[in-house]
Amino acid sequence: MKFAINLAQALILILGAPLVRGIIARCKAFLQRRQGASIWRPYSDLAKLFRKEDLVPSTASGVFRVVPCVLFGTTICVATFVPLVQPSALLGSRGDFFLLVYLLALGRFFLSLAGFDGGSAFGGMGASREALVSSLAEAPFLLSLVAVAVLSSHADIAGIAAWTLGQNIFNISAVHILAFTSLAMVVIAETGRMPVDNPTTHLELTMIHEGMVLEYSGPSLAFIEWASAVKLHAMLALLIALFGPWGMATSASVGAISVALLLYSAKVALLIVLLAVIESGVAKLRMYLVPDFLGVASAVSALAVIFTTLVKR
Amino acid sequence: MQLVSIKIGFVFLLVSLGLFAPLVLMAGKAKTVRLFAISLVVGSNIVGCFVASQCFWRESGAVIDLSRFTLFPFALGIDRLSALFLLVICTVAVPVSIFALSYFEKHYDDQRRRWVWAFFSLFLLSMVIVVTASTGFAFLIGWELMTLLSAGLILIEGDSAERGHNVFIYLLMMHAGAAAVIAGFFLFLPYSPGLDFVSMRTASGALPTGIRTLIFVLAFLGFGTKAGIIPLHIWLPRAHPIAPSPVSALMSGVMLKTAVYGFARFAFDLLGGGPWWCGYAVLSVGAVSALLGILYAIAENDLKRLLAYSSVENIGIIFMGLGTSLIFLAHHAPVWAGLALAGALLHVFNHALFKSLLFLGAGAISSATHTVNLEELGGLQRRMPFTGATLLVACCSIAGLPLFNGFVSEWLIFRSFLGGAVLMNTRAPIVLLLMVGVLALIGGLAAACFVKVFGVAFLGRPRSEAAEHAEESPFAMRTGLGLLAAACLWIGIAPGFFLRPLVSLVQVLVPGAGVPQETLSIARVIPWTAAIILGVTIIVALLKRRERVVRTWACGLPGLTSRMQYTSTVFSKPIRFVFSSVYKPDRKIERLPEDQPYFPVNVTYHSVRTTSYEKTIYRPFVEMILSWAHQLRRLQTGNIQVYLLYIFLAIVSLLAVLRFQP
Amino acid sequence: MGLVEIATGKVLTSFSVFLFLTVLLLVVARRISTCIVLFSAQSAIIAAEVFATGFQERLAEAYVVGALVLVIKVAVIPRAFFGLANRLKTSHDVKASTTPTQSVFIAAAMIYLSYAAVHSYGQSVHVPEDALAAAVALILTGSFLMVSRNKALMQMLGLLVLENGIFLAALTTTFGMPLIIEIGVFFDILIGLLLMGIFTFRIRDTFDHLDVSKLRRLRG
Repeated sequence: MKFAINLAQALILILGAPLVRGIIARCKAFLQRRQGASIWRPYSDLAKLFRKEDLVPSTASGVFRVVPCVLFGTTICVATFVPLVQPSALLGSRGDFFLLVYLLALGRFFLSLAGFDGGSAFGGMGASREALVSSLAEAPFLLSLVAVAVLSSHADIAGIAAWTLGQNIFNISAVHILAFTSLAMVVIAETGRMPVDNPTTHLELTMIHEGMVLEYSGPSLAFIEWASAVKLHAMLALLIALFGPWGMATSASVGAISVALLLYSAKVALLIVLLAVIESGVAKLRMYLVPDFLGVASAVSALAVIFTTLVKR
Repeated sequence: MQLVSIKIGFVFLLVSLGLFAPLVLMAGKAKTVRLFAISLVVGSNIVGCFVASQCFWRESGAVIDLSRFTLFPFALGIDRLSALFLLVICTVAVPVSIFALSYFEKHYDDQRRRWVWAFFSLFLLSMVIVVTASTGFAFLIGWELMTLLSAGLILIEGDSAERGHNVFIYLLMMHAGAAAVIAGFFLFLPYSPGLDFVSMRTASGALPTGIRTLIFVLAFLGFGTKAGIIPLHIWLPRAHPIAPSPVSALMSGVMLKTAVYGFARFAFDLLGGGPWWCGYAVLSVGAVSALLGILYAIAENDLKRLLAYSSVENIGIIFMGLGTSLIFLAHHAPVWAGLALAGALLHVFNHALFKSLLFLGAGAISSATHTVNLEELGGLQRRMPFTGATLLVACCSIAGLPLFNGFVSEWLIFRSFLGGAVLMNTRAPIVLLLMVGVLALIGGLAAACFVKVFGVAFLGRPRSEAAEHAEESPFAMRTGLGLLAAACLWIGIAPGFFLRPLVSLVQVLVPGAGVPQETLSIARVIPWTAAIILGVTIIVALLKRRERVVRTWACGLPGLTSRMQYTSTVFSKPIRFVFSSVYKPDRKIERLPEDQPYFPVNVTYHSVRTTSYEKTIYRPFVEMILSWAHQLRRLQTGNIQVYLLYIFLAIVSLLAVLRFQP
Repeated sequence: MGLVEIATGKVLTSFSVFLFLTVLLLVVARRISTCIVLFSAQSAIIAAEVFATGFQERLAEAYVVGALVLVIKVAVIPRAFFGLANRLKTSHDVKASTTPTQSVFIAAAMIYLSYAAVHSYGQSVHVPEDALAAAVALILTGSFLMVSRNKALMQMLGLLVLENGIFLAALTTTFGMPLIIEIGVFFDILIGLLLMGIFTFRIRDTFDHLDVSKLRRLRG
């Protein structure tokens, strides 16, 4: 039974990811006083891409063809780590957060290589900027997760979620506030949202992720887009599971699960609205100000780690 | 029976590497004779692997005592720590020798080839002696031989002035380090009856604290010089790139590890931990080395120099693990000390594997294109698919990505940092927990660096004629590369079989250690992640439709040339900009002709990174020594009567000493 | 009344967290208006803490002091600052001499330092450690702002943050100063600000800018 729920959680993460993207786009359109596309648009985009032909540049090698598979595979693997409606997940209790962070790094490594393989300047540019952002984002990512892990004495996501579930929601913990701030900044950087990267751009000045996938088309592009949507959904779910898991079902009854699912949707909706507001409200950072952004995230997460030693005294 | 076979195997290894192979190589002129000698080298290394794995997995040992025949006590013995490092040497030596079969044939003429192979075999022997020595003299003899033979191997390639200067600096640093190590050994003498490890171990309990600290510092400095920690690393980027690639692979992959072996032997086995601050010192030096090493590596365009700096980085990571272990030892938390030590030792093995693979790959590239400058390579994956695939495995391993072996050891070290949280009432928690962030930064930069290496060299369009006409490497080279890549993948996906004996080794070195059980869960979860990723990859590959090859869209221009791609310099620019306080670049832009600044015919951009350890640390030190020497020169007046006076004064003072002796 | 008690309890145990957040945001902020808003938020948190202390210890004076803080530091002074900034017509930029990354690392070090300093003191005297550490951190932050920001307005703001910190420190160690001293301190602040405002105008009129790093004549 638990296994079935865990499997369903992973499937919701994977299949619901384009919907999350669609809702963000709709919110942004609303904030910009436009009508905007339907929230189911990303699904029809994916279907359209699956029907199309796969065009491969003449300079591409085997690496180009294997990247969408590896990227999609690692992102799906990451999606099996995160608990949604109950404090456990498919690999949630076996794999710890180091494995999660480095699986994302594996996907990014191959995507950067794909940028080189097209033989154009955009790909290399995207890869170079991605190298800068990702190398600086690893430290705050891991440090904020370490802060939460040290408090809860667990290193696996499901364990941390279970521990947080047992805490009083009204106890304000400095560690958690600081860790949430820095992890939110890292999520923005890792998933390529404003103000670090513009996910809807095709201008060279503002490309990071788009630059690397510029040469892809057809089903390959569909898998890459889907992978990045799953990554966004998984990171949002990670934020919820680590910092606001109350409402998760502790028993396997249908009632508890449906309540948990409703609460989860509400929390994700809240985060989505917040993300849309931030994206519409701030301008994209100049490239060489992004290290400052991530530096602030590193310092805040280091402070969160320092606070864990102060709290446990 | 098993013990006897191990002993026979060990003797065979030593004798064939030391005696048979060089003799046959030097004496025999026919090709078959030489082939026989080379297969003797390979075969004896395979036997060595077998011997080492028996000792490592099954806790057996072998001892060869030649003290009766030699002036000083010379004995070799394989205990568990030696077995691990012997395994490192032999496992790496087999693919490297197979690779070298083809490489040396391509690059050297007949006469030089014999010398190279003879030195190669003796070099392997010296490393085997170092890690299996069980007396101080055996260790030091092997140590010296290692230095001299590697210098000889570098000089065989050629002896231009620049090469001679680099070898000179190499020998100088190595001997400075060796002096410190010798001093460390000899400091045991007043307290221990002999210099064999057994008596040193028992005597270490009786050492006074001051001597103990001094021995630790000397061992750290001496072995650190050989290992290449900053700021004692200046010989590494000079010596490793100019050696032939298989020799660079051995030097970077294995020789640096013998230094780690020496340090581990001293710090954990013989001394049993140092003063309370030693762990912090080792940890911080390791962190600085790792960070600066990878920053220098990112800025390099010469592939072999980049790999040399990357070795500095990985040695830094190993020392971070060793330092963490020492910290936990000083705070009496042997469980976590064992975990950190396991991570460091596993990283030793992993680094040996993937660094040798990288250097062999650089050798394959230079064989095919006659250059290792990244700015002249490109598009090699389509021309050398197998070589590219193995180098991709190596790049993923060194970046510490899951499913490859680098991740497992870095994971162990990360988890040991987390263990700092249990030491609540000390300064340790913050330092160790913040080290997670430092190691994460180092890992991220390493990934960026090797994206650059693989992307610029293997993907895209070729940037020079030579790269365009590259051909796949010959069979022997491919075998060597493939064996190492397979080993990396094996440990990456199924590390359990290696972790279990490593844990027992650690329990010998750190008494009372038992690795926390949940940390071995990594061995259980990685196969699952591998299965998921593989499964999804297959499904996605099946779902993809047929593809059509087209030209890359060039924004309406007639076509893209190789000049329009990103180069290695440009790729690393953002990172070099952010860390510009480390690099301190010195830039010069020249516009020709000078009197027409707005219509230049030629613009030259010249940028030199002035990472001047030589200027700030070494030169003042050297100046000081030279000035002392200058002062001492006053004793040499040239007057014979003054010299007779010196002798007379010496006799008088001897008599005075005798008079006042009780 | 149970809810009010719970709320006051929560405020007392967790207000230092929010003060640390304002410290971090103050060192990162790039606009003067953001800094002024953060200062008034800080003062509001301190006022809440004063009210909560008054409720728990049943001190009537605390309510008066809290009201004074609320009126003067949350309403009047920020208003005056905004007015001043508008009349001076300076640019919005804070003119920081450290990058945001360096500033946040320095702020983190200051917070750690304040905890370390308070730890040794707080064990001998029965004092809430978090509140005192927040106070010391505010003092250090105020000084840091004065040192590293080049606009004259930011010097004034730094001094105000410093005073916030001293006020909080006095509050936590003595559970409220006598009312007379509080009022005296407030008047001091007001007069000081008035003088600083007048001087800022004079500086601007004489030198035509407010960049204190260029005011170098104070040499022997």
